Amino acid sequence: MSQSDTDFLQEVADSDYKYGFVTDIEADTVPKGLNEAVIRLISEKKEEPEWMLERRLKAFRHWLTLQEKDKYPRWAHIKYPDVDFQNISYYSAPNNKPKYESLDEVDPELLETFSKLGISLEEQKRLTGVAVDIVMDSVSVATTFSDQLAELGIIFCSFGEAVEKHPELIKKYMGSVVPYTDNFYACLNSAVFSDGSFCYIPKGVRCPMELSTYFRINEAGTGQFERTLIIAEEGSYVSYLEGCTAPMRDENQMHAAIVEIIAHKDAEVKYSTIQNWYPGNEEGKGGIYNFVTKRGICAGDNAKISWTQLETGSAITWKYPSVILKGDHSVGEFYSVAFTKGKQQADTGTKMIHLGKNTRSTIISKGISAGNSQNSYRGLVKVNAKAEGARNFSQCDSMLLGDRCGAHTFPYLEIENPTAQVEHEATTSKVGEDQIFYCNQRGIGEEEAIKLIVNGFCKDILAKLPMEFAIEAQKLLAIELEGSVG
Amino acid sequence: MTTIESPHRVEDRISELYSMLDGHTLNGNSAALKNLRKKAIEAFAAQGLPTRKTEAWKYTPVEKKLSVDHTVYHENRPLPLSKEEAHAFLVPGIDAYLAVTVNGKYIAELSNIEGLPNGTVFTPIDQASGSLGDLLVSRLDTQSDSSKSPFVALNTAFLKDGLVLHVPAKVHVDKPIYVLHLFDTDAHTIVQPRMLCVAERESEVTLIEQYVSLNEASHFINVVSEWAVSQQATFKHYQIQDLNTASTAVFNQYAYQEQHSYFATHTSTLKGGLIRNNLEIVPDAEECESHLLGFLLGSGTMHVDNHTLVDHKKPNCFSNELYKNILDDQSTGVFNGKVFVHQDAQKINAYQSNKSITLTNKARMYSKPELEIYADDVRCSHGATTGQLDAEALFYLRSRGLSQKQARSILLKAFAHDVIDAIEFEPLRDYVDSRLLESL
Repeated sequence: MSQSDTDFLQEVADSDYKYGFVTDIEADTVPKGLNEAVIRLISEKKEEPEWMLERRLKAFRHWLTLQEKDKYPRWAHIKYPDVDFQNISYYSAPNNKPKYESLDEVDPELLETFSKLGISLEEQKRLTGVAVDIVMDSVSVATTFSDQLAELGIIFCSFGEAVEKHPELIKKYMGSVVPYTDNFYACLNSAVFSDGSFCYIPKGVRCPMELSTYFRINEAGTGQFERTLIIAEEGSYVSYLEGCTAPMRDENQMHAAIVEIIAHKDAEVKYSTIQNWYPGNEEGKGGIYNFVTKRGICAGDNAKISWTQLETGSAITWKYPSVILKGDHSVGEFYSVAFTKGKQQADTGTKMIHLGKNTRSTIISKGISAGNSQNSYRGLVKVNAKAEGARNFSQCDSMLLGDRCGAHTFPYLEIENPTAQVEHEATTSKVGEDQIFYCNQRGIGEEEAIKLIVNGFCKDILAKLPMEFAIEAQKLLAIELEGSVG
Repeated sequence: MTTIESPHRVEDRISELYSMLDGHTLNGNSAALKNLRKKAIEAFAAQGLPTRKTEAWKYTPVEKKLSVDHTVYHENRPLPLSKEEAHAFLVPGIDAYLAVTVNGKYIAELSNIEGLPNGTVFTPIDQASGSLGDLLVSRLDTQSDSSKSPFVALNTAFLKDGLVLHVPAKVHVDKPIYVLHLFDTDAHTIVQPRMLCVAERESEVTLIEQYVSLNEASHFINVVSEWAVSQQATFKHYQIQDLNTASTAVFNQYAYQEQHSYFATHTSTLKGGLIRNNLEIVPDAEECESHLLGFLLGSGTMHVDNHTLVDHKKPNCFSNELYKNILDDQSTGVFNGKVFVHQDAQKINAYQSNKSITLTNKARMYSKPELEIYADDVRCSHGATTGQLDAEALFYLRSRGLSQKQARSILLKAFAHDVIDAIEFEPLRDYVDSRLLESL
């Protein structure tokens, strides 16, 4: 990592203090700590119905049983100090108070990054928390979108709103893919989740837009315990985008989100993520711990779920977007690029659980590690005894930039049906000297050459992202690479 | 009020057995050995047996195979068979120095190790004498580590009858050393063969081992082998595992390589109950070459777990791993291979491959090929495939007039071809081949 880059990150880290981040200590913040009273308080503040509180309490009581040392998940290839769960504030309402009065106050380097990424001025303001009259603007845009969506019968709203307006759907689907007993962090989320998104695509409807556009304008700061639920009815299609390329800062160190996707017969859901949260300073201090449980179920025949992710941020990434292939002929896909540098640690991958007949899954994972970072792929392909004719192809390639980083592969293949065809291959290598030499010969400098080669290495994956996202992603990768080589 | 005797843990039972045997049956060994055993039993008690929750034993429920009814084999049974009967188990046609053990104990009257080249020592550990004996005893449990594996600890705690092989510098052992391990015990008996091999500088030796059950009793075989391969030495190892279906076997095998050495091991698992192969290779110097190969012929309810680690500590080494499994009936195969490349161990070429064919609906395969790499200038790759016989290929052969059985055996033979052909000794190769054909 070059000096300028770390300086930049350092400044980003410091800027909170420099400009005095405002934390609203009015009624909307719950004191630190976690107990039943806090859960009740969260539920009360969100004006939730009784059944939702019951669900939270149930999850919380289960979470209490997970407190013994051996139940805390330690299996991932990441190192971090024990998290003090009593030292976290579990609820703070979205804060509308501006951090800055105008863009001039914002760190110029941050703005430069934005312009490199091609983010519009309005959005720059929103992302940096500048107080301008964007509310009008986004409301009008958002309204246009929601009218268009409502016409088609698509429900797209915050999770809280869905609890209020569509309790039957929430009751039916929430926790059906990721039950509160699933894992430590999923359980924590089920007890304390702040808010998130809810998306319902009715039968036979093809969602006409990438749901990101809306999301990016409407849904900022959903908090550290997000919960997303996407339901695609028979024959529907939706492409959903989460996150954005801009470096996101957050005062919360610990994030534990849940994403659940239900794809019914013939439905297709495409979920793309770009994650670029604050990775911490040079020593890896202060970065975000990102513990996410993402899982989709192909509940009906011919359903398809596809996860695409570009992970460049967070001090710790612990994330395994998975697909349960229950319907016959259903398809699961996982495309991932994980880039780590500095002291970042990523342990990410997928689970493909084949239950139905003739189910297919594809896993392509590209890991790039630089600096002192550790980058692991961990994945499971399970073919159940009844999953006749299942097919899986996995490819996990790692690239190392520098001799102080690590790249690891931990694939699990569990095959219980003889008609399954499962292939896994992985390679680990560095950028070839001959490749760089070839570029140099043609007048391309070393840094440009490496950008070119790394982009080529990830091209297959980035091409899976929706168009405008793909271009941003490429630029983001180039920025991340700056100074992390040589 | 009635008092119920508290149910034992297996670990407590083992410790009890240790206290019972130490000082009696285990007597006669040197103080150094006694000390080693004492440390080992403490290490065993500290670790306990692995359970299903232990990640490394996730797919292999070995703890269910040990109960409080188990005892550690310590008696001296009369020889269960004659020399001719013993030799009938041998793979025919191999010209070798022959050693036969029964329940881990070397039996001179069944063996023939006459004529080993000058200076080569091959003897039971308690008969290794003088400075060489001390040296060998001091090297015990240096590659394996009782504090890291409960099974190594269990073996070391009751160590008495092990074999040691010492090949002096520059000696090339002209014929392979062939060790036939026979097992003849009552049910619920733990038998623990032990071997230490030291190949000194520029020496060359080939070791063939064959493990055979003589009866159908549920013995629990816990093997520990340590192989030290010094500078520019060559050590080749072949083993055939051919145990009864009621048995459980844990093989703990450790190789340590010095500069420019060559090490190869080849395991053919033909029959057994539950078998776990723990294989660890440490190329601890530059320019080492290591080969790990395995062939598994799974049938019945066999459960075979190959767990390997190649621990590249130094740069410029080469390792190649290939495990092929054919899984028939209700057999289960597990492969967990790990290649570890330490920081600054640059220019490593490491390859790892695991290929399996499942033939029935009840056969299972769990594969976990891992890479853990901390150096950038390396070439490491791994691959794992699991599938069934290609229907089109079968059809092709059938349409040319071959029977289903013939077609199947041609395809399976072709599948296993590369790993079986890696056996350098023709008689041994033919033997494994014939066992494959027999099973089809």
